[in-house]
Amino acid sequence: MVPRSVSCWLARSIESPDLNALDLISTVTQLIYVLIFISVALRAVRQPTRAHGDMTLFFGAVALIILTSRVAALIGASAPWLTTVEVAVLMALPYILLRLVDDFTHVRSAVKRGAELGLAVGIIATYATAPTLPTPVILYVVFYFFAVSIYCAIAFIRSARRSRGVTRRRMEAISLGSILLGTDILIAGLTPLAQPDDRAVLQALGQLLGLGSGVAYYLGFAPPAILRRAWQEPELRAFLARAASLPRLPATLDIVRELERGAANSTGTAARIGLWQDETAKLRFWEDDGNTVDVEPGTHFAGRAFELQRPIFSTNPVRDNPDGAANYRARNIGAVLAAPITAGERRLGVLTLSAERPPIFAVSDIELASLLADQAAVILESRALIDHAARVRAREEATRLKEDFLSAAAHDLKTPLTTVVAQAEFLERRATRDPGAPADIDGIRRVVRESKRLAGLVGDLLDATRLEQGRLVGEREPVDIATLAQEVCSHDASAPNVCQVEASAPVVGVYDRRRVEQLLQNLVENAKKYSPEQTPIKVKVWQEDGEARVAVEDSGIGIPAADLPRIFERFSRASNVDDRRFHGMGLGLFICRGIVEEHGGRIWVESEVGRGSTFHVALPIADGRRLN
Amino acid sequence: MKDLWAGGPPPGERPPSSRAARPLARADDRHGTVLVVDDDTSILDTVSSILAGEGYDVVSASSGQEALDAVALKRPLLILLDMRMPVMDGWAVARALRGRGISVPIIVMTAAESAQRWADEVGAEGYLAKPFGLDELLATVERYRGSGGRPN
Repeated sequence: MVPRSVSCWLARSIESPDLNALDLISTVTQLIYVLIFISVALRAVRQPTRAHGDMTLFFGAVALIILTSRVAALIGASAPWLTTVEVAVLMALPYILLRLVDDFTHVRSAVKRGAELGLAVGIIATYATAPTLPTPVILYVVFYFFAVSIYCAIAFIRSARRSRGVTRRRMEAISLGSILLGTDILIAGLTPLAQPDDRAVLQALGQLLGLGSGVAYYLGFAPPAILRRAWQEPELRAFLARAASLPRLPATLDIVRELERGAANSTGTAARIGLWQDETAKLRFWEDDGNTVDVEPGTHFAGRAFELQRPIFSTNPVRDNPDGAANYRARNIGAVLAAPITAGERRLGVLTLSAERPPIFAVSDIELASLLADQAAVILESRALIDHAARVRAREEATRLKEDFLSAAAHDLKTPLTTVVAQAEFLERRATRDPGAPADIDGIRRVVRESKRLAGLVGDLLDATRLEQGRLVGEREPVDIATLAQEVCSHDASAPNVCQVEASAPVVGVYDRRRVEQLLQNLVENAKKYSPEQTPIKVKVWQEDGEARVAVEDSGIGIPAADLPRIFERFSRASNVDDRRFHGMGLGLFICRGIVEEHGGRIWVESEVGRGSTFHVALPIADGRRLN
Repeated sequence: MKDLWAGGPPPGERPPSSRAARPLARADDRHGTVLVVDDDTSILDTVSSILAGEGYDVVSASSGQEALDAVALKRPLLILLDMRMPVMDGWAVARALRGRGISVPIIVMTAAESAQRWADEVGAEGYLAKPFGLDELLATVERYRGSGGRPN
């Protein structure tokens, strides 16, 4: 009976009473299919989704054919109605497979309608011509089965290409199973038409293909945990390889972005990471456009996963989270998975994966997402540790700097103080001993000069302290920088350097006059200090792009390139400055930067060792107030 | 006085008793030459003028090299030495003097906290911690002047 030959691909052992190798293969194949049915049926009970239902339907149909064949063998004869049921169920198999394809990827409705029509035509033709099926009907049924199976195999392969990790492997296994199954049916259907000598070979080949399809389906639909882990490993390894260098990225946001990319690559979905913010007690997500989205714990999937500390999976996000429905519709999201990122007791955030369609193997994806979330936790935690260590180091550095500063300041104050104290005492002794003696004018001048030096140092120290509190700049008024520069330049005409101002017009802005004067004074004195005698100091003042610009140019010793980035920092002095020859605490330029920045301006320097330096200042002219 | 400037073997080979064997300054040589070394001209001028006003024969030097030249030329009884100076600092000056076998007493002048340690490092007889007052300066100079290392 011909239909029997089609259905017997699963029930072949019944055909032959001898238990040979082929029978064994056939029995094993049947067992595998029944096992898969039990596995997917149990899963469908636990997680009743459409995909799980279709899987159960598919393997249920196969199990039914096996069962009826076994029953038929037991009762010794096969009822004609049983055979027709078998044929109908068998013909429905590829159609159920097509439904399964549609569950996780899109099948064009034309294909679906075509498959339904083909199924109907096949069933009608089979019943109309039963029990003697003519060859064209057999060929039709066989080719229908083959064509739909191969279509499904291709759809699975294409879907696998878009997936990652375990899902990809499982899709590939299912695709292989579908090809083997389709080919097996083709061979089973063609065997009766073949030469009798070839039939045995074809039968053996069919048995092997049947076993192959069973094993492939088993791996695809119900893979053992060990295999799932093995399949996950390459993805995890790739993720970890990338992740190893992440904690050292400059910003936490960079790390978040890399982790998101890694998770997206590993799962074939869109990934977002939200980090817990202690200040706001919310989860913060960073959008691509630079905006942030805050999510309260307990709301949305992320907030719920964070609060419950377990993964949340939804295949119907619009229904499960109505608050985000508009967003899910706009972005065509059909499945969301949120997994908490937690390091030990520390709740760091949430990893959210979203896809257009629910993953066919949710368990695998939840496992992978949890693993990725754990890895993200490790990375973020090491980042936090690095940050903490950096903070501790910075604190230690600040303490050390403060101590250095105190000792430097003490040292610098003691030097002029020595002259003031000893010289004043000596003047007093002289005046007491010999009231009529002429005044020691040199000694008096030294006391005056060193007292001024002391006052200057103390002033710098106070300014540095004010600067740290951000209140260096006080009352503002319209100031003409060109005039101010002229005043500063001609202030100390006795200096061995000539100070020249180059300004073609007044440059007026709203500034703290005293501070801008101090700024110019510091720059000019600096230039004089580090320049050979008789070389000119040029002060250029002009207006450019809404900014008041000042350039103080000298032909002094210059600043080594390595020192340039730190030159405006506190206590920073260029390495080619001999701090015994040039007195100072290294606060001058630090204060200059403070004055400029509190005015909302910029300060920078161009310099070449041995050729000289040019200090540039740009202050906003429209409004001197701080911009930020 | 003569053997104070006689050169002699390097410091390591000198018998430990050589210092004690040196004759003390003559009692009437109260106002012998004192060399003041400091790169800060205010301190240099102040200390020099005070000591000169007190009757000392004062030579001043504003660098390490000037100090060495002055020692060779004036053979001072005492050196007031600033430690932190450009090019040739106090340590280098002390080393150069000892290397030439010259063991004129040195008083270290410094604003650093580690004045005592620095004084020990260069084998100085004592130190003046900046800022020092008039009495401190005069008492220290008087104590070590020409002592060959021992207070008078």
